[in-house]
Amino acid sequence: MIRHAARKARVLFTVWFAHMLVYRAEIIIWMLSGSIPLIMMAVWIGKASSSGGSVGGFTAATFAAYFLAVWLTNQCIVAWAAWELDRLVREGLLSPRLLRPLDPIWNELAAHVTEKVLRIPLMIAILFVGVHLVPGTQLTPDIPHVLAYTVCVGFAFGIRFLLSYCTGLLSFWTTQATAIDELYYVVAGFLTGAFAPLSLYPASVRAVIDWLPFPYIVYYPVQVLNGNLAGGGILRVLAVQALWLSVLILIRGMLWRRGLRQYGAVGA
Amino acid sequence: MRPRRYFRLIMLLAGASVSAQLEYRVNFLVNVASSILASGGALFGLSILFSDGQRVGGWTYREAIVVVGLFTLVEGFIATFLQPNLSRVSEAVRTGTMDFTLLKPIDSQFLVSAREVNIFRLSDILIGLGLMLWAVITLHSATPWGVALGIVLILAGLVIVYAIWFILTTTAFWFVNIENLTELFHGLFGAGQFPVTAFPGWTRIVFSFVVPVAFITTVPAEAFIGRADPARAVGAAAIALFLFFVARWFWKFAVRSYTSASS
Repeated sequence: MIRHAARKARVLFTVWFAHMLVYRAEIIIWMLSGSIPLIMMAVWIGKASSSGGSVGGFTAATFAAYFLAVWLTNQCIVAWAAWELDRLVREGLLSPRLLRPLDPIWNELAAHVTEKVLRIPLMIAILFVGVHLVPGTQLTPDIPHVLAYTVCVGFAFGIRFLLSYCTGLLSFWTTQATAIDELYYVVAGFLTGAFAPLSLYPASVRAVIDWLPFPYIVYYPVQVLNGNLAGGGILRVLAVQALWLSVLILIRGMLWRRGLRQYGAVGA
Repeated sequence: MRPRRYFRLIMLLAGASVSAQLEYRVNFLVNVASSILASGGALFGLSILFSDGQRVGGWTYREAIVVVGLFTLVEGFIATFLQPNLSRVSEAVRTGTMDFTLLKPIDSQFLVSAREVNIFRLSDILIGLGLMLWAVITLHSATPWGVALGIVLILAGLVIVYAIWFILTTTAFWFVNIENLTELFHGLFGAGQFPVTAFPGWTRIVFSFVVPVAFITTVPAEAFIGRADPARAVGAAAIALFLFFVARWFWKFAVRSYTSASS
């Protein structure tokens, strides 16, 4: 059983790695186009230096550490599963996938994960440049925080991936799935903390946002990497992330079962 | 060039494009929701930046809203007129269907630029105009001359966006594999939702001259709030003209070296 699963995983990853290598130029363009955190970094650093060095407890260096970490996290959680599912359902391409002895979600997951691996070289380059552009920037205090961040950002990717996948499954019923998934990017700016650190938000707004999955996709993983959370705090973040993951896994299962009953392939 | 013929063509093409889209009316609701959320989010983000009551780069909160309005307007212009047309050029070059465009007895640049209109994204243009009007009226600092100049500068800004977008699209004749080069500009254009003076040090120079984002949103906004700077206004017009002619020349150059797909 496990041997079979391992073989399937190996095949999927090799195929997707070859596939993604063809798109390496596109991947670089997509990476550079997600520049809002870097733009916000410049704006907040400008504000800090014009108001005597700090805003709400942040200095140029802590703003740089925050927004570079936001940029890194955004790169790690990119998901386009909704777009892919919409295409599969609309063009009837899902039918041959259903014949494989494997839930199509694994294929999609392998595609997303291999694409992230190809992002690593440019990620390191941009973080290196960013950290050296602003003197005194400390992205992370020590190795344990980096390890905790790795787990946290993995969970964060899982949440974003499942959000996109569940939205994509709506294409069994509507042609608007990709448009609905686009809404994530519209609200992400202010709900995940890419516009400003959530600690600068009014307390009332913050209280509402914390009940949503969005801060757990970017803001809290960033807090872990920057070293603003210690043992107990990190565990709490991981627990909430795990909770959101399980909720989304349940929703995905339900949508998948109902959707398949609804599915009438093109040409079938 | 016969202007009347081209005007009639625009009407025909737009009519065909609109009637095709009216089949998908649910689109409209999703797009309006997305426009409202996006500008609401931008205003909220701005209010956090200004929450200590200080000016940012010499601009007050209300004045900066004029810039956000212009930014939303230009984003709407891109989504309504540029993206639906120019995103097809790359595919047409790859599959060879560009032949059909080049064979038609009308200007090819005109045809690839004016074939489609995504009417559902007009909502962004309307919301952007609304934000601008509201901010300009409540500021009480607008002058008739300033507003007239502002309108001219908006047009110059749109020409700059079109030219940059078109030049990036034209590279598709050589980089067949790269479909999304325009995303690079789109990513940097995000800086246009802030007055350019909010950016520190060298980044301000980048957003003024390397990628002229400042001339697309900040410079027209200055005219609307009665702070027009003649030198920058002339600069915006000069950049718009220059980029337009570069785009025109580049397109002709690209078409000459186009050898169609296959065989």
